Amino acid sequence: MSHPTDDELVDLALGEPVDASRSAHVEECAVCSASVEQLRRTLRLASGPLAYAGWQAPDDAVWARVTAQIDAEPDAPVDAGPPPATMAGPDAGPDAGPAPTPPETPLPRDERPSGTDAADRPDRPDRPANPTGPAATAGTAYPPEPVPADATVTPITAGAARATRRRAAAWGAALVAASLVVGLLAGRAIWSPNESGSVSQVALKTLDTRQREGEASVVRAGDGLDLNVVTDRPLDAGDGYLEVWLINADGKRMVSVGVLRPGETGTFPISQALIDQGYVVVDISKEQFDDKPAHSGDSLLRGQLPA
Amino acid sequence: MHVHDDPDVESAELAVRLVGGDREALAEMYRRWSPLVHTIALRALGTREDAEDVVQQVFVAAWRGRATLRPDRGSPAAWLVGITKHRVADVRTQRYRAHRNLQALASEVVTEPTTTHDSDWAERLLLVHELERMGDPRATVLRMAFIEDRTHDDIARMLQMPLGTVKSHVRRGLLELRDRLKEVERVASD
Repeated sequence: MSHPTDDELVDLALGEPVDASRSAHVEECAVCSASVEQLRRTLRLASGPLAYAGWQAPDDAVWARVTAQIDAEPDAPVDAGPPPATMAGPDAGPDAGPAPTPPETPLPRDERPSGTDAADRPDRPDRPANPTGPAATAGTAYPPEPVPADATVTPITAGAARATRRRAAAWGAALVAASLVVGLLAGRAIWSPNESGSVSQVALKTLDTRQREGEASVVRAGDGLDLNVVTDRPLDAGDGYLEVWLINADGKRMVSVGVLRPGETGTFPISQALIDQGYVVVDISKEQFDDKPAHSGDSLLRGQLPA
Repeated sequence: MHVHDDPDVESAELAVRLVGGDREALAEMYRRWSPLVHTIALRALGTREDAEDVVQQVFVAAWRGRATLRPDRGSPAAWLVGITKHRVADVRTQRYRAHRNLQALASEVVTEPTTTHDSDWAERLLLVHELERMGDPRATVLRMAFIEDRTHDDIARMLQMPLGTVKSHVRRGLLELRDRLKEVERVASD
């Protein structure tokens, strides 16, 4: 017999009348009875008077401690300006730098949120933030997209909240819909040594399974640079079209570099300035003909160019 | 009653942005959920200093471990609560060790830490938060059903709502809350 539906399990948990054969099944079935027990526990925890005095916000200084600690760590995103060549690429963790670290290195143990090792407590506020951190370099930014001046320092202010909402609107509901389906593990960079020193390339991978399905390379072309994008097989654009983007490693900004025809190699002129400013994540998205110039959020392939 | 923007969509959007490395998403998450994290930590640990340390740790860990956030599992609140449980347990362990060392110095018997240990506080507070955040009429229906312990017939009559609608809200709501707890468990047991 098939398992009861969620609704039937809820009714059992609530003590509502349920068909006898269904409840008989639940008694026999470990999965279903565990499910009912889970629902009963939920009910218990949600029920009854809560001896509860109200939410208590932490002191305002705590947020500053959070940002200071993040900025002081190598993982800190660099908001603007060319990152020093010796620094790990922003955002992609310790494996983004030019060092020959295997690209698929998982997060170090103490960077996982679930670490139970007592040694990975954060620094207390008395540890100074890195003075060359993002705040110090933010002034050199000249982003190609309008970004609110306050956006790079993420203060908890009404202004930032508004900016956040504007940005959220720009990314749009499509982003959510798409990303619920597609996980967001971006393809990691591979470093490919080359003779001329002028070429970098990266495998483009699916966001969910990190399947390699294409490649992007930056090549010298006259005075400038070309971004070449090729996929192993034609991507499905559905009713829409494929657009190639360079996303800034700070995760906040992006520029569209052009439209990719399925099955073809795309060549797009870009500039060294873009790369220097951190626009190093190559992203192919599926876009609809909807008159919305922003990224749909429906990313098919992605890869971060090596630093 | 008032109509909310869809909080689930907004939350999922935040989750996606955080995973993508957007620092502003972290700031927004802090604005929304630091009171939840702090209140849980305060409940569990008793002092503001420790609770605020936990808040700091949780949001730093959230940033560093953002790749483990699963936008498809609904609101990041449950994920944060899972991390919070870990950090609270860490502080308790440290207290216990410190306590034990002091005890050892005094050649006394080692005892369990004194803080009351109600491991369900985090989950209870998360559910309170979820009920507050949930849009009406579902939130009202659930409050009447779970907290005021009213029958579905009662609720249907008082809210002038078809009985089937009440039942449907209760079912969907309970399943949703159950999913939040499963997410806490996933993160906390990791």
